[in-house]
Amino acid sequence: MKVDEKTNRKALERITSLFGRYLRPQWRKASLMAGLLLGSIALQLAVPQILRTFIDTAVQGGDAEVLLRTALLFLGAALANQILGAGATYSGADVGWTATNLLRRDLARHCLSLDMSFHNARTPGEMIERIDGDVTALSNFFSQFSVRVLGALLLLLGILVLLWLERPFIGLALTAFTLLELALLGRSRRVAVPASELEREVSAKLFGFIEERLAGIEDLRANGGGAHAMHRFMSVIRGYFWGARRAWMLRSVIWLSSYGLFILGSAVTLGASIYFVRSGDITIGTGYMVFQYLLMLQTPIEHITRELQELQKAVAGIGRMRELFEISSRLPRGKGKVLPPAALSLSVDRVGFAYDDRPILEEISFRLEPGRVLGLLGRTGSGKTTLTRLIFRLYDPTEGTVRLGGVDTREADLDVLRQRVGMVTQEVQLFQASVRDNLTFFANDVPDERIQEVLAELDLGGWLAGLPQGLDTVLSSSGSSLSAGEAQLLAFARVFLKDPGLIVLDEPSSRLDPATERRLERALDRLLHGRTAIIIAHRLETVERADDILVLEDGRVVESGPRVLLAADPRSRYATLRRSGVDLDVKELV
Amino acid sequence: MTTNTIKLDPLRLALRLVRHRSRLYLLNSLLWTAIHALPVAYGLLIKVLFDALSGEAAAGLTAWTLLVLVLSVDILRLTTLAAGEWFWSAYWLEMVLLMRRNLLSHLLRSPGTRRLRESPGEAVTHFRDDVNDIAEYVENWVDFWGLAVFALVALVVMLTVHPLLTVLVSIPLGLTLLLTNLLRPHIRSARRRSREATGRVTDFIGELFGSAQAIKIAGRERAALEHFKELNHCRRKAALKDALVTELFKSVTDNMVNVATGIILLLAATSLRDGSFTVGDFALFVAYLPRLTHIMSFIGAMMVQHKRTGISFERLLRLARDADPVALVTTRNLHLSGPIPAFLEERPAPLPLERLTVRGLHFTYPGSHTGLFELDLTLERGSFTVVTGRVGAGKTTLLRVLTGLLPKEGGEIRWNGELVEDPGSFFVPPRSAYTSQVPRLFSDTLRENIVMGRRHHEAQLQGAVELSVLAPDIDRLEHGLDTEVGSRGVKLSGGQVQRSAAARMFMRDAELLMFDDLSSALDGETERELWEGIFTRGTATCLVVSHRRAALQRADQIIVLKDGRVEACGTLSELLKTSSEMQHLWLEVPEVAG
Repeated sequence: MKVDEKTNRKALERITSLFGRYLRPQWRKASLMAGLLLGSIALQLAVPQILRTFIDTAVQGGDAEVLLRTALLFLGAALANQILGAGATYSGADVGWTATNLLRRDLARHCLSLDMSFHNARTPGEMIERIDGDVTALSNFFSQFSVRVLGALLLLLGILVLLWLERPFIGLALTAFTLLELALLGRSRRVAVPASELEREVSAKLFGFIEERLAGIEDLRANGGGAHAMHRFMSVIRGYFWGARRAWMLRSVIWLSSYGLFILGSAVTLGASIYFVRSGDITIGTGYMVFQYLLMLQTPIEHITRELQELQKAVAGIGRMRELFEISSRLPRGKGKVLPPAALSLSVDRVGFAYDDRPILEEISFRLEPGRVLGLLGRTGSGKTTLTRLIFRLYDPTEGTVRLGGVDTREADLDVLRQRVGMVTQEVQLFQASVRDNLTFFANDVPDERIQEVLAELDLGGWLAGLPQGLDTVLSSSGSSLSAGEAQLLAFARVFLKDPGLIVLDEPSSRLDPATERRLERALDRLLHGRTAIIIAHRLETVERADDILVLEDGRVVESGPRVLLAADPRSRYATLRRSGVDLDVKELV
Repeated sequence: MTTNTIKLDPLRLALRLVRHRSRLYLLNSLLWTAIHALPVAYGLLIKVLFDALSGEAAAGLTAWTLLVLVLSVDILRLTTLAAGEWFWSAYWLEMVLLMRRNLLSHLLRSPGTRRLRESPGEAVTHFRDDVNDIAEYVENWVDFWGLAVFALVALVVMLTVHPLLTVLVSIPLGLTLLLTNLLRPHIRSARRRSREATGRVTDFIGELFGSAQAIKIAGRERAALEHFKELNHCRRKAALKDALVTELFKSVTDNMVNVATGIILLLAATSLRDGSFTVGDFALFVAYLPRLTHIMSFIGAMMVQHKRTGISFERLLRLARDADPVALVTTRNLHLSGPIPAFLEERPAPLPLERLTVRGLHFTYPGSHTGLFELDLTLERGSFTVVTGRVGAGKTTLLRVLTGLLPKEGGEIRWNGELVEDPGSFFVPPRSAYTSQVPRLFSDTLRENIVMGRRHHEAQLQGAVELSVLAPDIDRLEHGLDTEVGSRGVKLSGGQVQRSAAARMFMRDAELLMFDDLSSALDGETERELWEGIFTRGTATCLVVSHRRAALQRADQIIVLKDGRVEACGTLSELLKTSSEMQHLWLEVPEVAG
């Protein structure tokens, strides 16, 4: 019991702190909403009173004009109530959306700032569920809670007070009923929160599965993998069905029991009314009014119940959000040290890196002077890519330090660091967005002329001219409207648009035909001019422009030095590699 | 066209859908009819109760008996509701899962071309929202009968009590139907805009986190988040407009109840005084009115849902291309309980390849002038053909049109002289297997990704792993073949993903292997081992996109593409003599010093 109270209080604290942070800036709108809400509640309470007057006057054969006036008063009150109520709902939605949009942004910013180990473990579909699904549940709650729950509570209170004033017994009966009801709802939360959490989880699994298979539809279809994917889908379907049904039924149990209690309450109230009317303590009009109030009780209680379900979803969502917010990046933001301008030197000092306790790099040390080009060689899996990820601070080394322009990367401002280092990776990630947005990442401070200039520099001027809407042409994220080579050239354009002091090329030309590669080489000459660079090469010809060579094997440096010297030393690995290179045989053949 | 619209009739599709476990559906219909019709009795009891209280008691029924009756009706309804929820939750979930299963199965398995027009994220929203729309329509029909019974009985009761008042009260009821129907198009467009704005937000989240690494590398988190903020802002505006119209709509229905109650008050004033209209009658009218207005607006909404269901179906069909609408709603055993049946591999009969001929193959990308034009090609059994050319020459397009991943617009493909009618369903194992340029792996173990349901001996798997030069990597992985590769295979390096996909292809045991730029992420040595293996141990016919010298040199035939046409065809030494494009491609490779 104690533990439970604690978790309850914790949930409440979380909600209030969330409300405080995101609603305080909007206090004006919020108070307007409160005003509208109060007015609407007062009118709702007045309507049954008007009906009572009407019935009693009519039954006693009262004045026709009084009756007419009462009828008109009823109409006026009812209409005004509608307008105020609609206004309150609208402003509630306004406040809710503004608040949750802020929350969505904060959440997205936080998640995006996390290191790659976070992103590698999650599908984009899952992130949609986390950032939009959870927050939207919260948004319904934000916008509806104030109007529905607070309004409903006030209405409930008003009705009970009026009934107490009428006949204490009736007031007492309905107060008992209301308290019972609220106690029931309070208890039900404990059942329903894990249920909705389960529902969201199975739903994320279902749609995550579908998203992944759709993304890989070509690989599946062309390799006859469809039937097998559908077979795997069976157990996903099954998990969804039982999870979602369980959550559904648990929620049903809650509202059904609240309905049951209402039936009980209404029986008691009706019984009391019958008793008092027959004994002549109250008029038939009052009896009718009590009955009307009883009916009016149902709506706010239903609202509270329903919103409590939203609350349950929201609490589950808040729990997951907190989990997300609590994941801190393994990469501290840094002290904001400034990197020197122009070409950056790079020094790697006794660096080691392990992933999941598996050593990937060990004892790596080397220094690259500003303006020099380093060729990084090694087999697939030797740690080349990981090494460059460290320079970029996609990860931090587990041992040793990496310094850029003399500054420890962990102490530099992360944004500035990434601005000053340019990188072209093997896999090009494109958005379903315009060419412009794909190049600038939605920044609007890059003039079109600059983009066109860069594309022309990469010989993509003709490609751009052939696009139906120029820079506004939308590229599909699967890249089907773009050849892989073109996609890679766009990745180059991204780097060209920056002014990096260090450039990392991860086998940039891997998907290019030799002719295009040649074009790129010329552009590269300009890009690399006056900049430091690291070129990861799977092939030897790629490193011909390097000043220095570093060869990695199983995460260790096995050879390093100026390229010309290594090439001249017949016993060096580099020279051996060159001698045995595929291209060499080809040359002889030609 | 007409047959198409008939096919799309939502009612017929819904009827088709409820053939799935039709007895459960019928049970639901009965339960919900009772649930919606019972309040008629409740209203009547309240009337008699108030009459009894005001001294106009019906013979034999005391107020206390009536109270007991009211309570019994309530309890009966509560019990029925509990049963209704129990059975409806099952039916609803089965419906949505059935449609999602059918749709996914169609996309992954049916013949023809299945390329997504939208991003996978967008497609998933159709899987979620449009399917829910259709299920809601079926739900409408479950609710309909009970509500109709209520409306008819209530009107008859009211007519017998006070015909004139009933007629007058019907006017605002009719107005509700009219006004709500006038407002609905606005609601719909507001909702659509709000939904579109939502789609843009969710899509962007998908893209944002799908490309997290690219954004980080570009150092553009701030700009991307700024864009996200802008999308959220648009969505808020759209959602508020939606809320406003919806609220207006609600006001109309609620106000009509009030207007009708007002009419009763005005007219009943005299009747109440002379006793021809009792307090009980008044209570009856006031109890029925909100329900009747609700039913009016329900009927209007159902008409709209009818149309909307048609639209949702159309959207699903657009996603599924030329699918037969009926296929999406056809009943299936979903295996929700009991043991899941073992996977039975389905492979078409093997058909040894003697010769593959392609004549006049034609394809253009919609809205552009690029594609493939009048392309001819012949592959002999056991041969190794390399397709090469500059960026954008159409190399990848050729493989995708040939495998039916893109729809050919002209030309014919013949397998041993037999015309291939539907490349999409023909070019699958054991006839062919394919590795795309950027292959996808799924969140699963590496083994599962490679085997992909193929019945095999461990030696066969080892063979595929060795042939794709993946064995050394697997030794280094902590759990070997049982390593979870993460979403889209992110836990592996680019080269490992590529070779895993190659292993997956080798596992298919196909006559014809087509692979697109297989070695792009591989280092020289690994690449050489890979080609070595394919040339010496591989028995399949190969059609390969590459510009690697190692591949070009060993090719039996090279096809040089330029601007979607075959520029030249032959062996390397021939082409180096005759084709200027080949010379260009070959010689512009940076020279190796020395």
